[in-house]
Amino acid sequence: MSGILASLFGWAFLVPLLPALAFIVIGLFGDRLRRLEHGGWIAVGAAFVSMVLAVLIALGEMASPDTYTSLSYTWLSLPANPTFPYGFSLVIGTLVDPLSSLMLIVVTVVGFLVLLYSIGYMHHEHGLSRYYAELSLFLTAMIGLVLSNNLLEFFLFWELVGVCSYFLIGFFYEKPSAASAAKEAFLITRIGDILFLLGIFIFFYVYASDGPAGLHWASSGFLFAYGNLPFLAGSLGANTPLLTIAGLCILAGAAGKSAQFPLHVWLPDAMEGPTTVSALIHAATMVAAGVYLLAMTSIFLGFTPTDQFAIVAIGGFTTLFAATMAVVNTDIKRVIAYSTISQLGYMVLAVGAGFAMVGLYHLFTHAFFKALLFLAAGSVIHAIGTQDLFKMGGLKRHLRVTGAAFAIGGLALAGIPPFAGFWSKDDILSSVYSVTGSHPEYWPFLLMAMAAVFLTGYYIFRVWFLTFSGDRIRDPTLPTPHEGPWVMQVPLIVLSGFAVGAGLLIFIPGFANLFLLPGGVTALGIPPTYGTTDILLSVLGVGLGGAGILTAWLLWGNGRVFQLPEGSVWSSARKVLVNRYYFKVAYDAVGAKAVYSVARAADFVDQFVMDGTVRGIEQLFSRISERMRRIQSGVVSDYAAYVVGGLLAVFVLLLLVGPYLVNRVGGG
Amino acid sequence: MTTLPVGDLVALASGLVAISIFGILTRRNFILLLIALEIGMNAAILTFVYFAAFPQCVTAATCHPLTGQAIAVVVIGLAATEVAVGLAIVLALHRIRGTTNVAEATTLQL
Repeated sequence: MSGILASLFGWAFLVPLLPALAFIVIGLFGDRLRRLEHGGWIAVGAAFVSMVLAVLIALGEMASPDTYTSLSYTWLSLPANPTFPYGFSLVIGTLVDPLSSLMLIVVTVVGFLVLLYSIGYMHHEHGLSRYYAELSLFLTAMIGLVLSNNLLEFFLFWELVGVCSYFLIGFFYEKPSAASAAKEAFLITRIGDILFLLGIFIFFYVYASDGPAGLHWASSGFLFAYGNLPFLAGSLGANTPLLTIAGLCILAGAAGKSAQFPLHVWLPDAMEGPTTVSALIHAATMVAAGVYLLAMTSIFLGFTPTDQFAIVAIGGFTTLFAATMAVVNTDIKRVIAYSTISQLGYMVLAVGAGFAMVGLYHLFTHAFFKALLFLAAGSVIHAIGTQDLFKMGGLKRHLRVTGAAFAIGGLALAGIPPFAGFWSKDDILSSVYSVTGSHPEYWPFLLMAMAAVFLTGYYIFRVWFLTFSGDRIRDPTLPTPHEGPWVMQVPLIVLSGFAVGAGLLIFIPGFANLFLLPGGVTALGIPPTYGTTDILLSVLGVGLGGAGILTAWLLWGNGRVFQLPEGSVWSSARKVLVNRYYFKVAYDAVGAKAVYSVARAADFVDQFVMDGTVRGIEQLFSRISERMRRIQSGVVSDYAAYVVGGLLAVFVLLLLVGPYLVNRVGGG
Repeated sequence: MTTLPVGDLVALASGLVAISIFGILTRRNFILLLIALEIGMNAAILTFVYFAAFPQCVTAATCHPLTGQAIAVVVIGLAATEVAVGLAIVLALHRIRGTTNVAEATTLQL
């Protein structure tokens, strides 16, 4: 049985290929496929087959642990030359290992469910074929990213998911806010992407200048190969400045994609896209790619201690930083977006502290319950057509499935056992706690993450109480809500199942194999780390989450609306939070002042120096030729006069100027 | 046989060329233009014939005394053909435009 499943590893390329075919078909013929809901069902079908394949591959990986299958097709190969004594090649290929099969499950399962949900959610929108084509392209790119077997292919797909994110945030491009949010997301992640590319270059430079191993790496196409591990995971070992800079560049790339401080501003604005897009791209998969990148880098390339501290600091700080902004937001989707940033912070924290697999464990559970929260929010928006929390209320009587699903997602997010979030979040906290002995500098960030646990429970149940509890809708002008069609309810129910059970899967012995890397890479933290777990820490974590929920109930439960007393110190703090710590204002100001003046200077140089030179030359010639064309009179005698004039000039040159020059120069 | 001095011959030929160029540049009548051209040609023929009989030429190894005279015959033939073509153009021009004034035939200009 495991043999049959293992033979699938070579066919892993089919998983991204099916959505790619769906993208082509829908892109070309989607508008004619009205019966198939403009190609939506094709996308759903392709995603379903992909999901089945991915699950089979993951089962095969579970059945035969300690294996990896790397297949490459070399599409560019340079012979040996002075710079690359062993040659240089670029390859495209698939790597099936525990890590990628885990990610495959996440991407395909959430992708399939979100596409299915979209059939109901997007039914009334225009441009459906564009939507399904872009979503299929995104799935292709994301699956390609997690299956990449080399660093450069990884980067290509990394860029491709960024482009899809841009397209889909700007899906309602007639809305100026959506268009500008798309641009913002693209530009800010671009900062990270450029640094990421720079990081790749520096990594390569460091390894290549270290000796033949790095040059062999280039000749084999920058493969993520477990055989390379001793060298790639830092045989250089030392905390060299260049390696540190390379690691920081990779961190910047990850921070851009995963919306970590200080590149976090784009993710809340990305909520301008359809809610389904937020669920798939901006909660479950693409934003998690940054964490995946950090995990891959820590496994295959290695971070220096300085980098590790930087990653822990960014992750730990972001958990609390984003959670505080979620507390005051009044938009149902944006609260969940801040929550995503905060949860990604936990993952980054874990990877930075050296527990890559623990971070990916949280990525795995988070993908399901966060997609669930977004889809439940989408269901609310679908029912009443507003995102303003203070207009909602009392919806639990009308939207029973949605209310229950949101509550399950909220409990998972708040880290209440036995829901999925508890296991992974607790694992992160205990893992980081276990290294604070040797790394006391991690303490402040662990405390921030603990504080964020309380805020998480508070903000997500503030949303739940504002939306679902109470006895009436606050804004009476809203329509009577009704639950969406079955295509919307089924994903909610399935994801609810995952939000309950995804954390428990780890206790199935085979499933834990997905966290065992081949090649004896064991020092990266294998969840669950309950062997070393402090039971007090778990109790503290659950207690904080529960206290957050209780606080939310006291302030907002049963339709209560809490208002800060006038003029209290908290209202100025609230103002700072509502304004998102003025980061967006500051970035806009920097953009308007610094960047814009640089752009204006560049524009000036472009228009007047570059173009001016070109235009000047062009005008010079056109003026000269304007004068010159007048001698073309067409009169024979004039031409004869020119001939005679030319003849005279030749005579003058030969008989007068020539001898004069010869005398002056003194030549023979 | 008295010999014409070189200076006189050159002066004569130059004078003819000057008359010819003056005619070409100032005449507007196509036929007069052709006649002016012929005068210039004759200056060239005259020079060829004169220098063919020049002692330096006769004794030079690279030069044959008949060369200049042969060229003169060729140029006369050339002039005859040229005039034939020129007159044909005059006729055509006269038929199309009703004039032989070259200043009016300006369709060569862009």
